[in-house]
Amino acid sequence: MLRHIARRLLHLIPMLLGITLISFAIIQLSPGDFLAEARMNPVVSTETVDRMRTSFGLDQPLHIQYLRWLWNALRLDFGYSFAFQVPVIWLIGSRLMNSVLLNAVSFAVAWAIAIPLGIHAARRQYSASDNVLSFSAYLGISTPTFFSGLFLLYLAFRTGWFPIGGMTSIDHDFLPWWGKILDVAHHMVLPVLVLGVLSVAGLMRQMRANLLEVLRQDYVRTARSKGLAERAVINRHAVRNAINPLITIFGFSLGGLLGGSAILENVMGWPGIGKLIVEATIQKDLYVVMASLVIGSVTLVAGNLIADVLLVVSDPRIRYD
Amino acid sequence: MRGMVLRLAVMAIAGALVVSTPVVAQPPKLTLPDILNPVVAEGEVGRFGGTYVTTSISDPRTFNAVVAQETSSTVPLGYSFDGLVETNRISTEIEGALAESWTVSKDGRTWRFKLRKGVTWHDGAPVTADDVVFTLDAAFTKGVQSSLPDVLTIAGKPIQYKKVDQFTVEFKTEQPFGPFLRTIGFSVLPKHKLEGALKQGASEFNRTWSVATPPREIIGQGPYVMQQYVPGQRIVFLRNTKYYRVDKKGQRLPYLARLVIVVVPNLDAARLKFEAKETDFYAARPREFAEFKQKETAGNFTIFDGPPTFSTEFLVFNQNPKGISGPKLAWFQNAKFRQAVSHAVDRDAIARQVYAGRATAQFSPVSPANKFFFNPNTRRYAYDVARAEALLREAGFSKGSDGLLRDPAGNIVEFTMATNAGNTDREAIGNLVRQDLTKLGMRVTFAPEAFNTLVGKLTGTFNWEAIIIGLTGGLEPHTGQNVWRSTGSLHMWHPRQESPATDWETEIDRIFDQAAQMVDQNKRKQLYNRWQEIVAEQVPMIYFATTLTQPAVRNTLGNIRLGLGGSTADIEELYYRTPYR
Repeated sequence: MLRHIARRLLHLIPMLLGITLISFAIIQLSPGDFLAEARMNPVVSTETVDRMRTSFGLDQPLHIQYLRWLWNALRLDFGYSFAFQVPVIWLIGSRLMNSVLLNAVSFAVAWAIAIPLGIHAARRQYSASDNVLSFSAYLGISTPTFFSGLFLLYLAFRTGWFPIGGMTSIDHDFLPWWGKILDVAHHMVLPVLVLGVLSVAGLMRQMRANLLEVLRQDYVRTARSKGLAERAVINRHAVRNAINPLITIFGFSLGGLLGGSAILENVMGWPGIGKLIVEATIQKDLYVVMASLVIGSVTLVAGNLIADVLLVVSDPRIRYD
Repeated sequence: MRGMVLRLAVMAIAGALVVSTPVVAQPPKLTLPDILNPVVAEGEVGRFGGTYVTTSISDPRTFNAVVAQETSSTVPLGYSFDGLVETNRISTEIEGALAESWTVSKDGRTWRFKLRKGVTWHDGAPVTADDVVFTLDAAFTKGVQSSLPDVLTIAGKPIQYKKVDQFTVEFKTEQPFGPFLRTIGFSVLPKHKLEGALKQGASEFNRTWSVATPPREIIGQGPYVMQQYVPGQRIVFLRNTKYYRVDKKGQRLPYLARLVIVVVPNLDAARLKFEAKETDFYAARPREFAEFKQKETAGNFTIFDGPPTFSTEFLVFNQNPKGISGPKLAWFQNAKFRQAVSHAVDRDAIARQVYAGRATAQFSPVSPANKFFFNPNTRRYAYDVARAEALLREAGFSKGSDGLLRDPAGNIVEFTMATNAGNTDREAIGNLVRQDLTKLGMRVTFAPEAFNTLVGKLTGTFNWEAIIIGLTGGLEPHTGQNVWRSTGSLHMWHPRQESPATDWETEIDRIFDQAAQMVDQNKRKQLYNRWQEIVAEQVPMIYFATTLTQPAVRNTLGNIRLGLGGSTADIEELYYRTPYR
């Protein structure tokens, strides 16, 4: 097991090299650079733009730029953002926890709702409640985030029940600690609804299908014919075996903890990392994009690794060594 | 982009009419225990307290005023920092801010500014001539990312500056410089706080007072003290209790206790927040005017029928032999071709369909908002397809039986027109213009692309045919020299020429040289009138329409007076009429 983990971590090195090299090349090969905005400003002279280019190191050959970035990145120095002149780490750090919080809560809400619903639907296949759930799931899966986000914003506007976007109110700092938590929770209702509902649909369908598959197995029939209580059959035997594919999904979802809400953050003004990365990509703020790619790749790989470990824990049949 | 207009306006406006009366002395009507000669505000006497909430669609990028360029940074910094002089939003005249008076020598090259005594930094230290000199030292340090040297370099020589005594600074320009007062209103930074950073070099200074700096360390001398910055969410300011401006009763401004800029993802979110009464101000877009007008009473706000903006939108054809060649270059270099296109553009349709009628046709590079320098007598191109066809015939073009326009050599006139994708106004304009040109028999492909890509082509590879884009403007035409001089990098149709390619470009170069060295504003106006005539005649840029501003403000706010660029109030005089929230 430990050897497997070590091997996976070793694989990460060439993979990250590949990812960063290709991303760097693609970003640099597309026309235009970060200085476009300065160039279109009549007050800024060519000389000033050229000086900025030099100070950002953009006048160096591409391979030098990449190697220089790589060398610094190896020492965990991800450079400075062109746009903000602050360390990329600070910039990402200032928003990272907001994204993690939003995604983690949505994640927890989604799983807490989806799993029981999925079990319910599988146990009463083709019943009225199963049909209603299936229909809602299709609706949920097929509604794009930006659309449901906008719709809920409009709802918040019409009813006045929820704030219009953002994460805290302007009086946040005057509130006692419990007031601060309630304030953030109040702002979180709508985005969590959008993100949560979106994944509830998928997860529920997955859980339902897995459980139906397992319920057809011989050992379930054996358990039932032994006279085991239905509750025990489902919870102790069937669900445990049906959960494996969901653990894999869980691993993938961990990778989405950071960037999974990018679109919604842009629609609802959630001050997360997704919004930052989208803006950086549009502006070609090179080092911000590179750092977020590295973080995204590492979390994805880490998520898969965690899923693998969990699979071993959950299913005694799986061994890696 | 809209905010940018305001900033440039404020920066460039200064002193259009003032230089001819060089000495400005304000008789001290009121005194404060610590400030002998405070500025007395023009507005009505208000009441103290309250929170003003407004929105920004992007985060600030820096809190270092010398380095700041975008409105997302310069607007918040404007609340905390003042300059020597500033432009009166309403009269457009230059007024003293940190400087109480100034004189100019007879040869128009030496300027002396007397600083207001008793003005302090937010931490209590006095504001002196050293601070002004330090700010310029920083801006002119090689490697500091500031555009100030671009503005303060006159005839190729940087401006000279020195401290005369604790409260007097002197500037010397290489030649008499007409726009001088308009360029000297930069934010002054505190030497005692930033000296250390500058000593460590330019890149260290660029990174000092970044958005990662705790806001309370940002020490200015403006009406508001920065209190808090939450990335992606808001900037909060508190009242500067030692500010050097007073109202007519002698009470220290500003009135509002707190000022909040909420960061929102886009203008639609800003609008929703305003309509939900979460914010107090919204710069409505032309299309929204009618709808807002209906909601005025219910929403307890007023939407104003504001003045025109300073920004321009135009179509430009590539005339650069380094970028394109063959018949296309010949068409685009032909003034008759460009005039024909200008006649074929239905500007009223653009004003109606894109801007809901809240715009007027434009033919000059100067916006009519710029009342002093705008020349209303330039050639106008009425929408006239027959006239356009006649001009094309004169230039040897002919329309075949297939309805396609051909040049004298028989080449079908076809080209690609680009704009920056995502700018819905420009995309709409592009579609209308494409239809207009199709009527002439031209085959036009309209292809919006990413802003970066477009600018890369415009200023780098020169590999493009026609582009619809816009520029922000201001009151001072000189700040557009990078666009109009043949050597300029934003001389879009043919940038960075070694020597002017045409006679009219030579003449424009000469006009910009002469007008810069002239102190008599009326003579400058004559020169810039001629420039506008040449541009209207040669149409290197085909302008569309000037939009109007329509600021919406909550009725609970007092001292709202409409000014330049759709600005609604001087921040220090703004107050809450009702017992505040």
